[in-house]
Amino acid sequence: MSKVEVKSLFKEYSGRQVLKGITFSVQKGEFFVLLGPNGSGKTTLLKILDLLEEPTSGEVWLNGEPVDYSSSKERVMLRRRIGMVFQQTVLFNMSVLDNVAYPLKVRGERNFEQKVKSVLELVQLKGFERKNALTLSGGEAQRVAIAQALVTEPELLLLDEPTANLDPKNASIVEEVISHINREKEITIIMTTHNVSQVENLADRVAILDGGRMELLGTFQEIFRSPSPNKNLAMDNIFHGVSRITNEGTSIIDIGDGVHIEAAFKRVGNVTIHVPPEDIILSKYPLISSARNTFEGTITQITDIGHIVRLRVKVMSIKDFIVQVTKRSFNEMQLNIGSKVYIAFKASSVQAN
Amino acid sequence: MYEGIFWEEVLNITLLSLKVSGLATLIGALIGIPIGTFLGLRRFKGKRTIMRFVDVIMKTIVNTFMGLPPVVVGLIVYLLLTASGPLGWLGLLYTPMAMIMTQLIIVIPIIIGITMSAVGSIEKSIREKALSLGATETQAALLVLREARMGVLSSIIAAFGAAISEVGGIMITGGNIRWWTRTLTTAIVIETELGNFTMALTLGAILLTIAFIINLALTIIQVKGARE
Amino acid sequence: MYTIKHNGNMKIVSETLAVFLVLVVVIVSVFAYEWHICSQKSIIALATTTSTYDSGLLEYLMPYFQEKYGIAVHIISVGTGQAIEIARRGDVDLVLVHSTQLELEFVNSGCGVHRIGVMYNDFVIIGPANDPAGISGLKNATEAFRRIAEEGAKNNAKFISRADKSGTHMLELSIWKKLNLRPLNKTWYVEAGSGMGAVLRMANEMNAYTLTDRATWLSFKNQLTNLRVLVEDDVVLLNPYAIILVNPEKYPKRNYEGALMLAKWMISEEGQNLIASFKKWGETLFKPMARNIELAQLLGFPEQEKELAWYDMQEPWV
Repeated sequence: MSKVEVKSLFKEYSGRQVLKGITFSVQKGEFFVLLGPNGSGKTTLLKILDLLEEPTSGEVWLNGEPVDYSSSKERVMLRRRIGMVFQQTVLFNMSVLDNVAYPLKVRGERNFEQKVKSVLELVQLKGFERKNALTLSGGEAQRVAIAQALVTEPELLLLDEPTANLDPKNASIVEEVISHINREKEITIIMTTHNVSQVENLADRVAILDGGRMELLGTFQEIFRSPSPNKNLAMDNIFHGVSRITNEGTSIIDIGDGVHIEAAFKRVGNVTIHVPPEDIILSKYPLISSARNTFEGTITQITDIGHIVRLRVKVMSIKDFIVQVTKRSFNEMQLNIGSKVYIAFKASSVQAN
Repeated sequence: MYEGIFWEEVLNITLLSLKVSGLATLIGALIGIPIGTFLGLRRFKGKRTIMRFVDVIMKTIVNTFMGLPPVVVGLIVYLLLTASGPLGWLGLLYTPMAMIMTQLIIVIPIIIGITMSAVGSIEKSIREKALSLGATETQAALLVLREARMGVLSSIIAAFGAAISEVGGIMITGGNIRWWTRTLTTAIVIETELGNFTMALTLGAILLTIAFIINLALTIIQVKGARE
Repeated sequence: MYTIKHNGNMKIVSETLAVFLVLVVVIVSVFAYEWHICSQKSIIALATTTSTYDSGLLEYLMPYFQEKYGIAVHIISVGTGQAIEIARRGDVDLVLVHSTQLELEFVNSGCGVHRIGVMYNDFVIIGPANDPAGISGLKNATEAFRRIAEEGAKNNAKFISRADKSGTHMLELSIWKKLNLRPLNKTWYVEAGSGMGAVLRMANEMNAYTLTDRATWLSFKNQLTNLRVLVEDDVVLLNPYAIILVNPEKYPKRNYEGALMLAKWMISEEGQNLIASFKKWGETLFKPMARNIELAQLLGFPEQEKELAWYDMQEPWV
């Protein structure tokens, strides 16, 4: 089980291809990260690995055995050896203790008190046993969800953006717990994220997923320190350039083609930077704001993903920025392909690796 | 003498109302909750077009029946139970049983509808979560029902509220016979017609109290639900 | 090797099942009990008109009957048309109604048997105290209606009709027919579609004329301060009540014995005396006529003598 092999996996939802032939394998005890923008198929892939979704074609092998998705008995048996943490935290309307004990109870285990106690200690929620799970804060709730996944001591742990909606304090607790169990207990972990720094800190290997395809696979060094930059086009707003420090104590990164980005950190020399799409402000007119980075561009692609619209904005006819706006503001701004827009983001939004 | 019989009749009418509406709601819950849960779990989802079609039709029927005027239900039950109707051999017309049957038809769609949406709104996330934690399909379904318990409870209370305040249907099928099939609502109609406003107002106050208690319970559940 | 264990939810399932079973048992036993009560033969179902029921006459009579024979009478009070329709479907054992035309149809179609006149009350025309149509004191109901229509056309008067196919409504229509008047869609002619009490209250509010039975009028009089009795004592306004049993050959499941008992008791000396003794606000509302053969024949019961003799011969309780 701890070895996971995925062989040319396809998944289709009512005619829409979400996964288009994914192949990779993860070794026992490995920390494997799937990196990619929203809608790239990360979550679907994890759900297939947790046997919650059935692939349209292709195979998943766990511990050298092909998974039979049609057998409900096998699905339950395999799931009981896998733990999964969802991006959206779902807890049950019962005490924290009962929430964490639930996976043990459905397995018919009676003596769960001790296990629940120690796993709650691990996620730093000692003393929360009697609280109703629905009264917890977002960060506490996500830690309970991680405790639920860990209490059964799974061989494989699937984490779907576990820190996406958390404040820095809770995020660091979660990261700590994850890396601890990966090292101490040799649990195989597959995690999705779009936080590049998490990849650097945690991952043994990383795969970049975009549009249902696996674009790149390798160690962090191989991918982000790669000399050929066009390979990285798959990731949102990843740029390579040469950084220099300004008089004000910030950095200016020349990412080529006459585009300069100002960042709040101090770095000199070659850097890879990342600008989260959700940090970019979009407007139809030039902005006068505190944001240090302002560019003029043209919309070249519009992708509708539910209530959010992803826009590809070409700056200086060459650099692509991915920007996210809500559908409502998209409609209100009456945007279209070819529309001239202005994008802006703060120097502090620029992350370096 | 007058006082004694007055209160005796008030008691008789109130108890009959509670019995008829209570039994109708109880039986309606036994039938409606499993159906509502089943429809809410969306087992028909996906796979085959025909199943999806069945699903849509079932839900449309439930929603249509939820808005059915009670008098129409009363008329239909009357035509079923009348001696020359298909169920005439049961001899149930103008009995409390006929009223229970009428209210049953009124409450079942209410219970199914509210249970269905309570279960349906949490089904996907709770079921998926339970399965990923190692539950079997049955265990997951039980957990979904457990998590939807407040919604299910409010469906029962709403159904009882609809039943106890219903008048048109049971008037037709019960016949409003004194000491036998006269409930709070039908009694208020006849006592008003007779000009016995003391009786009508007394019964009205009792009905209002019951309605208040029902709504109090519903509000408490909703407030609790919102806080969670 | 892993196996799927269900111990975790066995308890929940068995508890749910137990509760479910207990509820089913409770419901089934309640139903069995109800059914037992419902199917007791010793209940007589009587359909009657709202006017009889609303007057309180039946509430007055039934305890005497019940005490003597120990049989409960279930009274369903509706309009005459509906009462006869209910009987036609076989849902009651006998009817007590007042509409000659509908009664005869019911008997002629073979649904009802042994129609007999039991009692009568009378109708009065009531109207606003200032009497814009000037009918006060007339002894001729037809002439009064003509004057109301005349003033109505000039917008000086209003008439409210029950418009519900009740006996009262039928009588009203027969009087308009005599005048060759069909007051439909006239602003002065209000079709209420309600019971007598509601119509009286409407007339009081609208200062309108209407036709009412005396019983209902008396019971509401105190609340109707704007209205007065203007026309009475016309033979046309006498209102005979008939009892008809449902045909036992056509409805073998009905309680024919019980219906016969009740009918026989109503037309017996005892029953007739009790009807005469029923008073409201100090006035007699219903006058017995089962044994007044001459009057019964005048009021549309040509077979009264024969039917009375037949009833007197029956001995259902032996």
